[in-house]
Amino acid sequence: MAGFDIVGKDIPRTDARAKATGAAVYTDDIKLQGMLHGRLLRSPVAHALIKHIDIRRAEALPGVKCVVTGKDIPKVRYGNWRLFPDLQDEYALAVDKVRFIGDEVAAVAAVDRDTAREALDLIRVDYEELPTVFDLASALRKGAPRIHDGTQGNISLDRKIRYGNVDKGLKEADYVRKDTFTVQAVSHAYLEPCSSVAQCDIDGRITLWTSTQVPYIVQCLLASTLGLRENDIRVIKPTVGGGFGGKMELRPWDFCAAFMARRTGRPVKFTLTRREELATGRRRHPMEITSTVGFRKDGTLVAKDLKILLDGGAYNAMGPTATFLCGNFGAMLYRYPSYRFLGQHVYTNKPPASAMRGFGAPQSLFASESQMNMAAEELGIDPIDIRLKNAQMPGDRIPDVATISSCGFRECMEKVSEMSAWKKKRKSRRKGYGVGVGCYSFISGGVFNWFNTQYPFSAAEVRAFDDGTVHLLTMASDIGQGSDTVLKQILAEELGLAMEDIRLTAADTAMTPQGDLGTWGSRVTLMAGNAVIDAARQIKDQLFGAVSARFDLNVIYDLECRDGRVQARGKPDRGMSFGEAVALVQKANRGEALVARGSYTPRRKGLVTPAFSFGAQVSEVEVDPETGLVDVKKMWTAHDCGTVINQKSVEGQLEGSLHMGLGYALCEELVMDQGTTINDTFLDYKMPTAQDMPPGESVCIETYEPEGPMGAKEAGEGMVSPTAPAIADAVHMATGFRCKDLPITPEKILKGKVDSR
Amino acid sequence: MSVARYRYFAPTSLDEAISLLQAQGKGAVLLAGGTDLLLRIRAGFIQPTAVIGLKRIAGLNRIAWDTKRGLTIGATALLSEVAEHPAIKRRYPALVDAALATANVQVRNMGTVVGNLCNASPCADNVPTLVAMGAEAVVMGSDGEKRIPLGTFHTGPGKTALEPGTLVTAIQVPPPPGGSGAAYRNISARSRVDMSAAGAGAYVEMNGGTCSDVRIVMGSVGPTPLRARRAESMLKGVKPTAALIEKTGQAAAKESKPISDVRASAYWRKQVVAALVSRALTGAFQQARKG
Repeated sequence: MAGFDIVGKDIPRTDARAKATGAAVYTDDIKLQGMLHGRLLRSPVAHALIKHIDIRRAEALPGVKCVVTGKDIPKVRYGNWRLFPDLQDEYALAVDKVRFIGDEVAAVAAVDRDTAREALDLIRVDYEELPTVFDLASALRKGAPRIHDGTQGNISLDRKIRYGNVDKGLKEADYVRKDTFTVQAVSHAYLEPCSSVAQCDIDGRITLWTSTQVPYIVQCLLASTLGLRENDIRVIKPTVGGGFGGKMELRPWDFCAAFMARRTGRPVKFTLTRREELATGRRRHPMEITSTVGFRKDGTLVAKDLKILLDGGAYNAMGPTATFLCGNFGAMLYRYPSYRFLGQHVYTNKPPASAMRGFGAPQSLFASESQMNMAAEELGIDPIDIRLKNAQMPGDRIPDVATISSCGFRECMEKVSEMSAWKKKRKSRRKGYGVGVGCYSFISGGVFNWFNTQYPFSAAEVRAFDDGTVHLLTMASDIGQGSDTVLKQILAEELGLAMEDIRLTAADTAMTPQGDLGTWGSRVTLMAGNAVIDAARQIKDQLFGAVSARFDLNVIYDLECRDGRVQARGKPDRGMSFGEAVALVQKANRGEALVARGSYTPRRKGLVTPAFSFGAQVSEVEVDPETGLVDVKKMWTAHDCGTVINQKSVEGQLEGSLHMGLGYALCEELVMDQGTTINDTFLDYKMPTAQDMPPGESVCIETYEPEGPMGAKEAGEGMVSPTAPAIADAVHMATGFRCKDLPITPEKILKGKVDSR
Repeated sequence: MSVARYRYFAPTSLDEAISLLQAQGKGAVLLAGGTDLLLRIRAGFIQPTAVIGLKRIAGLNRIAWDTKRGLTIGATALLSEVAEHPAIKRRYPALVDAALATANVQVRNMGTVVGNLCNASPCADNVPTLVAMGAEAVVMGSDGEKRIPLGTFHTGPGKTALEPGTLVTAIQVPPPPGGSGAAYRNISARSRVDMSAAGAGAYVEMNGGTCSDVRIVMGSVGPTPLRARRAESMLKGVKPTAALIEKTGQAAAKESKPISDVRASAYWRKQVVAALVSRALTGAFQQARKG
């Protein structure tokens, strides 16, 4: 991009070398003197009262140092929704009751993992089994067994959105259709399983290394569950091998590692197995989505009535946020004169669903984008044309949400249509061949403060040194998405330094500035980026003052940090090196270090998000008529993420999104039977492999987001959403079968073809 | 679930391996590539007391071809070695297809064809073609060597006709006569790198324009690899037209007995095995016409 020296340039990821050579340190790589190894005992039953737990034989096993159950721990419920304590519904270990197969019941710490595992077999738990509910219908049935006390019919929370007159709109519409869509549970399948190591110092304070997206949230919730003060807990985030929303809460192993480290005086490590991750881990919400939408004859949207039931599993986790957001995503892309949404988060006796890449958007958009394609077909309008007719534009206001500032949605659709030769391909009559389209809009972080943080949403501290280097400290958490690189780029750009001049510490809650809500909802580039700029500008103010005084510059002069210098703009001789300028500021302040703290909290931006991204995707498929196999031949993508800060990272995000979207569309599903996840290995959990990735072409439509750092906004999370509706639409063109129930398996296609004959 | 604790032996001769196998008794298992075995041990599906590694036995990984005996694939010959062997590529391309259809590169660089056979999974990719081509297992015990036709080798999922204390030292495949052809086709819903949800191996011999012999073997649609004998009879002695091949596939599917599991439903397996059989037959006939 013009005008930038580092932003938008081909800057390699700062973690690439360490990861490629194996030098990067992940939590499970940490080995401390005298460290014990923990394992968790999980409930084998889906819903039961715990009558008695006998740990004596486990404790007696040589090598076992500590066994704890729900009886031993402080009875403090936790959950991310601190703003509404009623929604905090979990104990670190089950107290009196288990609610899903895999619920954590006890923990063992022993001298090695095998001994700890053997000890689990020696714990005897007497359960009194209770009736169970495994799906939405039975959970909502009258007289259904209640999973949590104090809820109405297993609904933990509902959310309503309403504007315009929906009933009137639907009545007056020329064309109305109502469809129900269902979507499945899928796994984040991050390659690094959850892991944590806790160490207790002589004063009883805890240091916890954990594979997390949210060090600050873990710090706060660990303090409250242990009955300690926040400042007694130090959370350090090592290198993290992916999260995708699955690592954004305090989890039982974090608690148990810390609790048992305090009890034994020895460090304790927990690392989950892949089987635990797949069988009991967080997952994307299965949903049942019923949408009624009305159009005028010419394709203009009139009204939409959306009802979504979220199958939340046994605890809330991040379900409440997903419930809010899937309603917002239902009406973010297009102009709806009237809209009504009811979302209900329902408890079932299954592993809890939580945040996962898209945070409600993949589900909600599969439904609304598929419905858009169906409506276009019946109205006889090209699916891209009907979208262009209704697309949001810059300056459009989404009632109760915000006014959209930057928006390249139309340009995305026009570009993707051109790149893919859409009009021509769409006319093909070749049997088994199809192209389809899907679009998305996404948020750049959330505004609603469910965690009830007392701190700014993001913060950054910059320390400048007279050797021409700076140290950036932030709690922003790189979990593989590349934020360390991006934040360094933003700082280097702002201060006119090179990437090598910046040392970065992130994230360590005892060292890096409070606070940061972590990595989720595509918030980091925008929010932490703005905090970095805020800090950098304060540093610059001081440097500019010193340089101005030193050269006796007229007040009208503009100053700049560039190429390692601080100087009058256009007059490089009136200036000095960055280090010399820092030294000068220090002298003026009697030796005080040059340090600045910046922060960002979205304000006057409604309650949803400070900025919106957009994109459009076209897929091309061939379907084998005899086997129903879908071969995705190619994908075309055009998206608007504002200023591109790191081109390679954005490409990586797009490819990752496509991979996840492909699995969601075609083959991934956590298959459940009576509360048990059957496919708990990568052999049977069908994630696409590298060989299944279709070739693709993508284009960034550059816009400038005024609220974002240097014009940037979300990239890569929203992109996971359009793939499933685009493929579903292409499969429909190829076979005549319209899939309203993900994933689109070959079997459904064969059966669908039989039915439609 | 207690932790697996077993003794590991690495014999350097067949005699030593067989006497170890007999001395260690029921709890002993053999390790060739280990790509199935170690997963089963780690998952706690089996708890062996002794693991006997075969890799140090010299010559057991031999792949050899001669005009009389045909092809010999030793017990520790790797899937990737089979897939790359010049004689196999030339004379048994269907075995290459089957080996390459097995799992992924990493597994093929460790796993063996004989291991795939002895693991006795109904979805073993290498077995249908071998059975169709009339291959035999060379079995060694303390009483000496004997041969088991692969068509009778499997007795159920994970079960074989091997007697205790014996092991498979090699697979022998007869030399393909002129005018013969074979092919393997498989499928999974994830498609490119996966365990097969169904597979089909076909072997045909052509005499003039007619099909003089045919064997169809289906994988993953029954407790063992299944011969589709009624379907075979539709092709014998007649000219194999495209329409007839398609019908034969459908007939073979009727003979299949698939189950529904997490990998695929019985419905889908039955649907696709018809297509796989016709496609394998088409490939086999093409090859037969060339040779």
